[in-house]
Order: sequence, then structure tokens, then C-alpha cells
Amino acid sequence: MLAIMSARHSLGQNHLLAVLPEQVLERLSPHLELVSMPLGEVLCESSGQLHYVYFPTTAILSLHYVMEDGASAEIAGVGNEGVLGVSLFMGGNTTPCQTTVQTAGYGYRLKARLMMEEFNRTGGRRSGAFNNLLLRYTQALMAQMSQTAVCNRHHSVEQQLCRWLLLTLDRLPSNELTITQELIAGMLGVRREGIMEAAGHLQRAGLISYRRGHITVLDRLGLEKRACECYRVVRNEFHRLLSDVQSRKGI
Amino acid sequence: MPVAYQEPAANSLLVALPRKDYQLLHDCLEPVMLTFGEVLYRPGEPIRHVYFPTDSLVSLLALAEGHQALGVSLVGHEGMLGIPLALGVSDSPVCAMVQGSGMALRMSSAHFQNEFQQNALLQREVHRYTCELMAQLTQSAACNRFHRVEARLARWLLMTRDRVRSNQFHLTQDFLGNMLGVRRVGVTRAAVDLRQRKLISYNRGEISILDGAGLEAAACHCYRIVRGMHVVARA
Repeated sequence: MLAIMSARHSLGQNHLLAVLPEQVLERLSPHLELVSMPLGEVLCESSGQLHYVYFPTTAILSLHYVMEDGASAEIAGVGNEGVLGVSLFMGGNTTPCQTTVQTAGYGYRLKARLMMEEFNRTGGRRSGAFNNLLLRYTQALMAQMSQTAVCNRHHSVEQQLCRWLLLTLDRLPSNELTITQELIAGMLGVRREGIMEAAGHLQRAGLISYRRGHITVLDRLGLEKRACECYRVVRNEFHRLLSDVQSRKGI
Repeated sequence: MPVAYQEPAANSLLVALPRKDYQLLHDCLEPVMLTFGEVLYRPGEPIRHVYFPTDSLVSLLALAEGHQALGVSLVGHEGMLGIPLALGVSDSPVCAMVQGSGMALRMSSAHFQNEFQQNALLQREVHRYTCELMAQLTQSAACNRFHRVEARLARWLLMTRDRVRSNQFHLTQDFLGNMLGVRRVGVTRAAVDLRQRKLISYNRGEISILDGAGLEAAACHCYRIVRGMHVVARA
């Protein structure tokens, strides 16, 4: 992983860092290191320890659960709306998920020790705005997980594909996704043929256009209509998380 | 060091607190009886109380329009209902429904938020339990992608056994349907399968685990993983 300083990147590209109170920003920004996250990089093994927390800006991370037989499925995604390392600051020992980079890009990382110091700074009085934000993000992450469970149980591959495309799109600046159908199949824990079939339907309906390794979303609203309600539930949790902060800041 | 309190059954999250901290909470905690099928909170409704089960058992159910509910976590004496409040959110995206009748210690949201803000040790225990809950949710998400209904039923029965600390308990087919996210016919098939293998007896809603080791072997390995995490966390 390369640590790069560049004028193109800013802390504000991550929604949690964007609303850090002044004093917190002053303390942390010397230690928030811009890093490049290449596709497929494993940031944390299952049951591994995180040495850093990560605030993605343009990268998207995927929390996968890997079964005994090697099959895996995505439990939740983490993009510019969030942070990787909840189990660390919440005092859990390890996470059962493996975390990989699903969409290459950048993010900021912070040493685990510094994250813990900041999180525990307010001690018994939990008045810290940063703390509150991280806790609310934890709730949003848990909502994603429980929604993934019910989606896996009840919803069709096509609905799940729509949900996944929309959540990913929300984390990207454009309507173009660089990803193969094979990788998406791995995310959703279904066979590649199932994704090909579902993507074919969406393409014929004019909602997406697919060429090898790239998906362009042509009709976002159309995708939303085809997605299961899981997309709306998760999106609302993210909106709620931030809107409270924004209203307190007068945004 | 935590003291063993005199309640016949205790909530281990609370027991992990030093005595003085527990005493402070005690005045706000009210013992209540929870009954099978009772809904403690629903998605989108403000959570009014937090609950620390002692010998009751509560399921967290994720809902999907037009489908059975799906059990995503089980909360017994090791945990707490109302985690969203500890995370600064007033309602939950899941439903909390009582699966096993029994007692719990209850506290109003206002009292809880007040106590929680001031008590670093309570925060630590609740945050740690939140990680356990996240591990359960993770397991449920993966389990529902890959595992068959008989294996999931076995897992759910074992998780119930561990929390109610008995091999006999009451579970209607309807409730099981909501746990497993399958319709009645699916529940019946799965239960018959486990019964034919002489792992359980199931008669008019009364379940008896006849062969615990056999049931563990029939369960998907999600059972062992979630149980293992709880053991590690409490060490």
C-alpha cells in the first residue's frame, strides 16, 4: 500500500471525517494518512486484528463472511459513508469477517491506538460529537447486516443485484461501476450464471449497460423500483445518521 | 470483583459490573415478567425501555414485506434489548419479540440514557455486547445465504437451549416459522427430519432436545462460532 499526499484528495470526501468538530480535526489530521487501496487487497483477515481504522473516500470495502468450505458472501459494504474498524473501537476482540477492497480507490487510515485514544477521550461523559457519530454509524452498519440476512432469505437474485448496484452507486461519484459479474456473484454468494441472467434482464429493460468489467447504470429510478425494500431501509439508516449531525451543524 | 447476586437467575452483562455500579442502576431497574409472543419494540417505533433478560429469551426479527419474518439474533441473560439507544438512535430496524417467557430487568429509555452517559464501565460492557450482537447478525446473514433449513433449525434450538439453560422449552410452529423465515410446511418438514433422527421430540409446541451432541452435529457450524465468541468475550 502506498501512502500518497495529493491535492486531489481531502478528508471531507469521507462523510464522517467531513463533520469532525474543529478540535478533533486538529488532533487527528496529522495522523490521518492517505492510502491507495488496490482492488482485492485484504485489509483484515477473518478473526484478524485491525492495526488501523480506515475511512474510505473513493474506495469501497467489502466485509465478507467466509464459510468453512470456502464459499463467501458479503455481509456489508463500507464506502465514503463510513469507517472500517467498528469492532475495534467498540471493544470486540476480532471480527468474524474478512475485509477486502471491492472497488479500488483511496481512503484515510488512522492507527488503531490513536483511534482508541480519541474514542475514549471523553471518558465517562459521552458528550463527544465524534463518538456519537461513530456509535450511530455502528447502528447503521448493524442495520445493513440484518437487512442482508433477510435479503438473502427472501429476495430474488435480481432484487439483490439491484440493491447491491444501488448501494455501490451511492458510494461512487459517477454512474459507472468497474466490476465483473464474477466478482458480484462472489459478493452476493450466488452462482455467476445467476448474476448473468439477472444482469441480462436489467440490460434488456434498459436499466444498465454491461460490457466486460464495466457496468453503467442508465436508469437509477428503474433500478430502485426493481430493488427489494432492503435498499431503502439501508439508505435511510445512512441518511438518518448524517442528517442529525448536519442539522446540528446548521447544514 | 463482581459479586454473585442473590437473584435466582441473573443477567450476566449487569453482573459483570462492579457492585457499586450495579447498585446505582438497581434503583432504576424494575423486574418484569415477559410473556411468549409479546412485542417489546417494532421497527420505526421509539424504544421505550431497555431490558436485561434474566430467564426470559427475546428474538430479534428482521421484517420483509410479503414474507415471513426472519430471526437474526437471540438475546437472553447474556445481553440487553435496546442497543440502538446506547448507540444514540431512538428506534430499531428490527422487531424484538419474546420467545421464552420469564423475567427481565427493565429500565425506561430516559433513565437508561442518563445512566449510560455517566457510567464508563456500563458503556464498556454494552459496547462489548454490541460486538457480540454484530457477530450474531453477521452469522445470520451468512447462514441464510448458505445453510439448509434443518441445519438452521438445529442451530436455533441449540441457541435457545443455551440461553434458557434447559433441554425443554415451548416453541410454536408459527414462531419457528418466523425464526427461520419459512412457512409452516417448511417448519414441519425440518422438525420431522430432526425428530426422525431422534435428536428432538416435538409435540404440541413442546420441544425436548434428546441428543445434544447429535443436534450440534446436525446444526450448521454457525452455532459453534457464535457460541465460541461469547465464551471468548466473557473470558
